[in-house]
Amino acid sequence: MIFEIEIKTKKGFVDPQGLHTVSDISGIGIKDITDVSYVAVYRISGNITNKQADTIAKELLSDKITEDYTVKQYKSLEDKKLEKNSIEVWYKHGVTDTVSESVVKAIKDLGIKEDLVVKTGKKYCLKGKNIDDKKLKKIATGLLANTLIQEYLTK
Amino acid sequence: MKVNTIEILNLNDKQLVELSRKSVLSLSLVEMKEVQKYFRNIKRNPTDVELETIAQTWSEHCKHKTLTGNIEYTEEKGGKKKVTKYKNLLKETIFNATMKLNKDWCISVFKDNAGVIDFDKTNGVAFKVETHNHPSALEPYGGSATGIGGVIRDILGVGLGAKPLANTDVFCFGLPDTKASEVPEGMHHPKRIAKGVVSGVRDYGNRMGIPTVNGGVFFDKGYMANPLVYCGTMGIIPKNKSEKEVKPGDLVLVVGGRTGRDGIHGATFSSVELDKESDVSAVQIGNPIVEKKVLDTMLKARDLNLYRAVTDCGAGGLSSAAGELGEKTGLVIDLQTVPLKYKGLAPWEIWISEAQERMVFAVPPKNKNKILNLFKKENVEATFIGKFTNDGKLLLKYGKEIVADMEMSFLHGGVPKPTRKAVWKQKQIKKQSPVKVSAKTLQEDIKKVLADINVCSRDWIIRQYDHEVQGQTVVKPLQGSSIENSGPQDAAVIWPYTVVKGTKKGVVLSNGINPEYGKIDTYKMTASSIEEAMRNAVCVGANPEKISLLDNFCWGNPNKPEILGSLVRAAQAAYDLSLGYSVPFISGKDSLYNEYTIDGKTYSIPPAFLVSSMSVIEDVNKTITMDLKNAGNSIYLIGITKNELGASVYSKVKNFKNGIVPDLDVAVSKKTMKTIFNAINEGLLESCHDCSEGGFITAISEMAFAGDKGVNINADAIKTSEKMTIAETLFSESNTRFIVEVSPENVAKFEKLFKGIAVSKIGEVSDDKFLKLESKKSKISVKENIKNLQKAWQKTLQW
Repeated sequence: MIFEIEIKTKKGFVDPQGLHTVSDISGIGIKDITDVSYVAVYRISGNITNKQADTIAKELLSDKITEDYTVKQYKSLEDKKLEKNSIEVWYKHGVTDTVSESVVKAIKDLGIKEDLVVKTGKKYCLKGKNIDDKKLKKIATGLLANTLIQEYLTK
Repeated sequence: MKVNTIEILNLNDKQLVELSRKSVLSLSLVEMKEVQKYFRNIKRNPTDVELETIAQTWSEHCKHKTLTGNIEYTEEKGGKKKVTKYKNLLKETIFNATMKLNKDWCISVFKDNAGVIDFDKTNGVAFKVETHNHPSALEPYGGSATGIGGVIRDILGVGLGAKPLANTDVFCFGLPDTKASEVPEGMHHPKRIAKGVVSGVRDYGNRMGIPTVNGGVFFDKGYMANPLVYCGTMGIIPKNKSEKEVKPGDLVLVVGGRTGRDGIHGATFSSVELDKESDVSAVQIGNPIVEKKVLDTMLKARDLNLYRAVTDCGAGGLSSAAGELGEKTGLVIDLQTVPLKYKGLAPWEIWISEAQERMVFAVPPKNKNKILNLFKKENVEATFIGKFTNDGKLLLKYGKEIVADMEMSFLHGGVPKPTRKAVWKQKQIKKQSPVKVSAKTLQEDIKKVLADINVCSRDWIIRQYDHEVQGQTVVKPLQGSSIENSGPQDAAVIWPYTVVKGTKKGVVLSNGINPEYGKIDTYKMTASSIEEAMRNAVCVGANPEKISLLDNFCWGNPNKPEILGSLVRAAQAAYDLSLGYSVPFISGKDSLYNEYTIDGKTYSIPPAFLVSSMSVIEDVNKTITMDLKNAGNSIYLIGITKNELGASVYSKVKNFKNGIVPDLDVAVSKKTMKTIFNAINEGLLESCHDCSEGGFITAISEMAFAGDKGVNINADAIKTSEKMTIAETLFSESNTRFIVEVSPENVAKFEKLFKGIAVSKIGEVSDDKFLKLESKKSKISVKENIKNLQKAWQKTLQW
């Protein structure tokens, strides 16, 4: 089973990464993106229950006061549907993902002993005018993903 | 796991070159022929492990072949040619000066991972500055993070390990307003590189709990696709732990991160030009949490005397680290025992991988269990992978199979030394036409220079770094009367009271760099950079006779005679200045081949010589800062202002051609700096700031808004070497100039102390928060609110 845990800033709190991304997008010459919401994504593959995934999201990966979490579940990644006007960035296979190494260890410390594979990703949900695939790709390659070590998905 | 035998015995010259290129060995034909000769002598072909080992050991990064090689240098001056032959440029210049000076306070110079000098009777302080340019061009965040991570490990790997106290960082980036269409395909935009690099250093340094206290940034279009990322670390080490010695029979212990495919060919990659096809696996990713655990635990092991030697895995990975430790003894390693991140690595990949956060130790067998238990207790992975021998051989196994068997003497002494040609032709340098301005233009020009990308505030960078962690930073990178009012501090001062109980002593860190001058003359650039680093240190109270220096050359392709010629001149300047000031270089590093090729056209970086300085001061209570303190105090300009606007910030702002690059009179400089040191030591100065980029008017503006004070300046009182216009006087970048603030009760003593030194009393501090400048001779009067000056200085770099 594959779980994707998404962590984002609660309404009413400032989303600094989102704000910086809006400014950075403007810096590369794309002026009509008005809002970006940043979401940290943790993809956990392995034999855990929904309850355990919820515990990991609640107790380990999110800050109860400032962040909301969502747990999504897939049998296969082919079932996953991307959100419209979003860009996801993931490390390529074989690239050291230090945060995921820490998450694996921390999950064990929570008492969940199953062997799990964790990958970390970043999701950017964009709002603005005239967002099309070409623009999303320009933002992804010009700013958000270093295609040498990362791959990106857009919709 | 498969080990390949590589056919080399029967290859012709063309095939040898092709083999080197295809396998990213970065070995020249002469070197490949030497390798061929060695294997012909032992009548067999090498394995891939052996060939890769030779390539790593002989890489420019590890062996510094250019600086230690033969150079025939031709200098053309006034129609005459003079030829000088160097057998080892580094040994005959920088290192030679250090040996001649033979300072008794130098503990370890040019032989270990960092230079070490005396701190007090029982402790030394170590300093090292490294570059991580090519990885940062490809992956700015990961490249710079592993740059700072690597230099921290250098400090952990000096002697038996020093405790890091502070980091430094100096960057050269392309212009941030470069049009996207001008950026070559496959390369990152300079602003993206700059942001990524700053984030990388921030995240690694902050997470390690080491303050980043000193640095600088220089922007120039020449660094567009090849940034320079210098990272430094200073640490403290007990003197009795400053030497290492490997004994045959000692066990080889690898500690810290696991080995993956990260950074394969990093060392040989540093000897190739960048292009859009540059190798993916050259990128390393850092993990500061692992390194922090290694740091804390290894210092415990050091104090329990559990190992005899240590070094870090840097460029070339285990191949370099274990190879260096075993150079005099020999060693046998079983590559199958090295802990891996994932399966599938070939033996040669395990041996040369540059996976981060790894240290290699030589452990006496009797301490085997003790040291393993200590690391295990602290959750740090530690694995014995081999043994040091006494047969002078490198023997690598993968389980039972022998995958490499070579003589250490060939590996470390077999690299051929071809002679490279170097040329320098003197250029005709003219003074610029007289620069005349109106009062209104002058007022605007002052703000334009303050806002220039190479002068403006770096607070956007500095405030991302934790420069206070450990609680020992007594003089910080930004100083002023409050958070809102701060200016660029010349040097940082660390007071290591948590390590050395009861001490009053401190460590001063500063730097000097100005590639702009190097576009005209690398000798003058180097001289000015050395003086700038020393001036900065003296401004806070360092003794100029107790300063130690580090050199970092970043140059283009040394196979081009003009480029190598400019490098030779820089090395000569370093030698001359080191002897002239009687200050030794204690460590250094070079990064060459900083060029990139796009669509067949080669772009070379402007040569950059970074000088980093470290000095120990007796009493941190006596240090002073650059911000003005009290209304009514007198302001003096120490030093003569000359008509030296060549390659200055003002020449760029006004877009005028010609101009003389600042010269340096070492005797005057030495006397001036010593007197300033004495004045600070006697408590005669309230503040002190040196004049550098942007000249006198920039420096006094910074002092005013940092102190939230006004200043009244009589520009006619500034002593000049010749008749100069007011703009030339205010913006000249002449060396050996300092602005100091003296309280009324100390004026007489101050003036007596500075008898015989050019000193101009140019005004006083006021409470009205205006910079007021008068020149009756030029009939010019300027009045500007210091808040407007501060705004101009702060607005440019707020990303």
